[in-house]
Amino acid sequence: MGKMVNLKIDGKEVQVDEGTNLIEAAAAAGVHIPNLCYLKGMKGIGACRLCVVEVEGGKAPVVACNTKVKEGMMIATRTERVQEIRKFVIDLILSMHPLDCMTCTKAGVCNLQQYAYDFEIKESSFTRKKFGYPTDEANPFIKRDPEYCVLCSRCVRVCKAQGTNVLEFSGRGVGAKVVTAQDKPLQESGCTFCGSCVDACPVNALLEADRWRKGREWEYEKVDSVCLSCGNACSITVSTKDGEVIKINSAAAEGIAEKYICALGRYGFDSLTSETRLRTPMKRVGGELKETSWEDALAIVAEKLKAAGGDAAFVSSANILNEDAFALKKLAAEVVKTRNYDSSVTLYSDYDALRSGTADLEDADLFVLVGTAPDQWARVLPALDAVIRKRMSEGGARLLVINSGEPRIASAASAVLRGDEVKMIEQLAQAVISKGVKAPKEMISALAHVDPSDAAMAAADLFIAAKSPVVLSAPSLYKAAANLSLIKEEAVSVPFEANAKGVVLMGLTSEGKKFKEIVSTSSKVLYVIGEVPVGKRPDTEFLIVQNSHITDLATQADIVLPSTAALESEGTIVDYLGRIKEVRKALEPAGDAMPHSDIFAAVSGAMGSSLKKAKDTDVKKALKTKVKVAFSPFKRDKDLEIDGEKFIDEINRSTVNGSRLLWLKESEKAVVA
Amino acid sequence: MSEPAKKDEAPKKDMKDVFAAVENIKCPVQKSQRFVEEFLSEPMCGKCHPCMLGSYEALVRLKRISAGIGDGADIKAISRIADQMLEGSRCIKGKDTAKFLLGEIKGEAFAEHLAGKCSARECPNYIMYRVIPEKCVMCGLCKDACRYNAVLGEKRNSFRAGYLPFEIRQKRCVKCGDCLPACPYGAIEVVEEKTAVLV
Repeated sequence: MGKMVNLKIDGKEVQVDEGTNLIEAAAAAGVHIPNLCYLKGMKGIGACRLCVVEVEGGKAPVVACNTKVKEGMMIATRTERVQEIRKFVIDLILSMHPLDCMTCTKAGVCNLQQYAYDFEIKESSFTRKKFGYPTDEANPFIKRDPEYCVLCSRCVRVCKAQGTNVLEFSGRGVGAKVVTAQDKPLQESGCTFCGSCVDACPVNALLEADRWRKGREWEYEKVDSVCLSCGNACSITVSTKDGEVIKINSAAAEGIAEKYICALGRYGFDSLTSETRLRTPMKRVGGELKETSWEDALAIVAEKLKAAGGDAAFVSSANILNEDAFALKKLAAEVVKTRNYDSSVTLYSDYDALRSGTADLEDADLFVLVGTAPDQWARVLPALDAVIRKRMSEGGARLLVINSGEPRIASAASAVLRGDEVKMIEQLAQAVISKGVKAPKEMISALAHVDPSDAAMAAADLFIAAKSPVVLSAPSLYKAAANLSLIKEEAVSVPFEANAKGVVLMGLTSEGKKFKEIVSTSSKVLYVIGEVPVGKRPDTEFLIVQNSHITDLATQADIVLPSTAALESEGTIVDYLGRIKEVRKALEPAGDAMPHSDIFAAVSGAMGSSLKKAKDTDVKKALKTKVKVAFSPFKRDKDLEIDGEKFIDEINRSTVNGSRLLWLKESEKAVVA
Repeated sequence: MSEPAKKDEAPKKDMKDVFAAVENIKCPVQKSQRFVEEFLSEPMCGKCHPCMLGSYEALVRLKRISAGIGDGADIKAISRIADQMLEGSRCIKGKDTAKFLLGEIKGEAFAEHLAGKCSARECPNYIMYRVIPEKCVMCGLCKDACRYNAVLGEKRNSFRAGYLPFEIRQKRCVKCGDCLPACPYGAIEVVEEKTAVLV
């Protein structure tokens, strides 16, 4: 923590961290300094000049967004002099901004509207200017209407900071316009449709494409939840109106690097009402799936499970909630009494790699990526990619990539160690030790034979210079990578599924066959939960599929049970950084769909034994069973190496195919072809 | 992905050139208009709103005044723009422009323009070119010099009885001033006259 600085803003005393800018300091004192171009967490550019304030003893007004606090400063934010400048700028901007607030979708959250109100400007006193720019509506995600643009450049800067770098200015002065390279439509510009620019836009120039006449901000009910599409498990805010999702935004705090969600999280909600959605239980009658009632379906499931006993097997996706995993474990181990229950976690990780490690990305000044390849464009852990790039561009963090392939993020790295990851970690560790840094004895002796290369020596300097390095590793390499955390700070493994850590901590860890073995060997009854990367019916006498959408596997099942989708149930998960996140219900379940844990309770009820519902304390107790990292030999798990892009594609197939993301997938193919 | 804009490229014109461009203009309205035009054409960087939007609006207002359709509100707007640009703009370029405008707007000239008078006789919309019949010798040199066929008249021939006196047709005249130096007898003059309609 830095030094604290005392200052007075409009007579209110406030104490803030050294290095804070005046806008943040004023916010801490409860004073809002108007601004259009300032973005929390990014360097102030002083373009809009709305944030001018007067400093006592200073001659000219200063720009609050890039003035740092000083001890004993006295700031006046509402003097006539600065109010005149603000009013002048708003007046000028209004002279080139459509005055259609009565039908504007952004009404209520538009900064310009608010300031026009604050400064009592009904219409501009300056000459009306109109440029007649066309609207870019060629994609179903982001609508760009330059007529509304106030040239604040927020969108350009967020896009650049996270590394997508699609938007730029063309022209200068009043006629300037935000464009893509060569003014191409967004889908041909390398845009990933993450929508960060939409969140940054203070006016109606950038908007979700389908928002027209779907209500405005004050009509929405907002629920903070978590996106379960991939291992990043981003925090989201779901806005609903009349039981329908209207939009989803990032729920991360303003100004932190983690304020990012990808297109999947932002636009995947269409699939909640898609045709492939399961609303009623189904059973196979004469070779065809027919709708049936819950009682009937549950009775059949119970009977089959009872008969199978130890020969039954359960496989689940790791996108289910902690409570679901807890109930599933109870059902499988205590009611059905089988030893074969597993989640898709074991396809890419061992259990221990998910039991330990926490990290704080916001504080990290060095990211070491071991084998994992986050990629916004391929939508593999895109938020991690964006966070790292933002921390690098705005927070001065460094990046060290250790990878045997050519991940896209390597091009942004400060240093790259290319080659077999385990060998490279050994070299890095040895290089760090050879420079006189302390390490456990076992590690020193295990590394005695290693002779670090020059690249490793250079990378070691980065590692030594960093105050709080964070090692992010592919689960298959976690054992080796975690050794680095014995030298300094943290290491975490980054799984591909949202609640991979949670399901393991909840005890959904097989005592018999693992996932791969279950789906490749024969079983009496196979109970599949969620969307798993299995397309063909495994060899089983009776297949039960429990999912929110009808999948390829579900069409081959004997019984299909409809479960709630991500935004329809509530509970907790544990994200890749080891944080507990609350998943909240934003919508009522579609049709007769039930949460996984309720279905498990009902199945066990039909089998004649009651299943206790997981209580908060049960979950919390289970979450405490964390393992301490100890030295383990530098080795990798060969069987756990999978293609992340393919895996994430497979577990999100229903979401993508049931939403406008399908359009994106097709158009990306078209651009490549 | 696009390359970031080239930063090292030095602007071709700087403020010195802007000042040089208006050095010989006498009419404050013309002078201000030209100054802002020159400023917007190159040195204006567009990095802050008061200067970027303000100077553009000032130009719109100046054009109105020099076109003869201005009113008191335009002068007020210009002086407000200049005041606030001086306070609020980011760099010396915007402040210089503001100071220049404040200096020019101070005198009587702007108010005179609203009354339909350009004392320096430089605003095209406030002046008229006229042939002084007493001085004209009907040599036809002005007719040759006029690129817009605005001069009407027939060269006088001694062997012919009648003739058509030379005059300038105001509808065609664009006030380029090419005829002035063409006349060796000083028979063309500039008179003040506010035109009612903007072309």
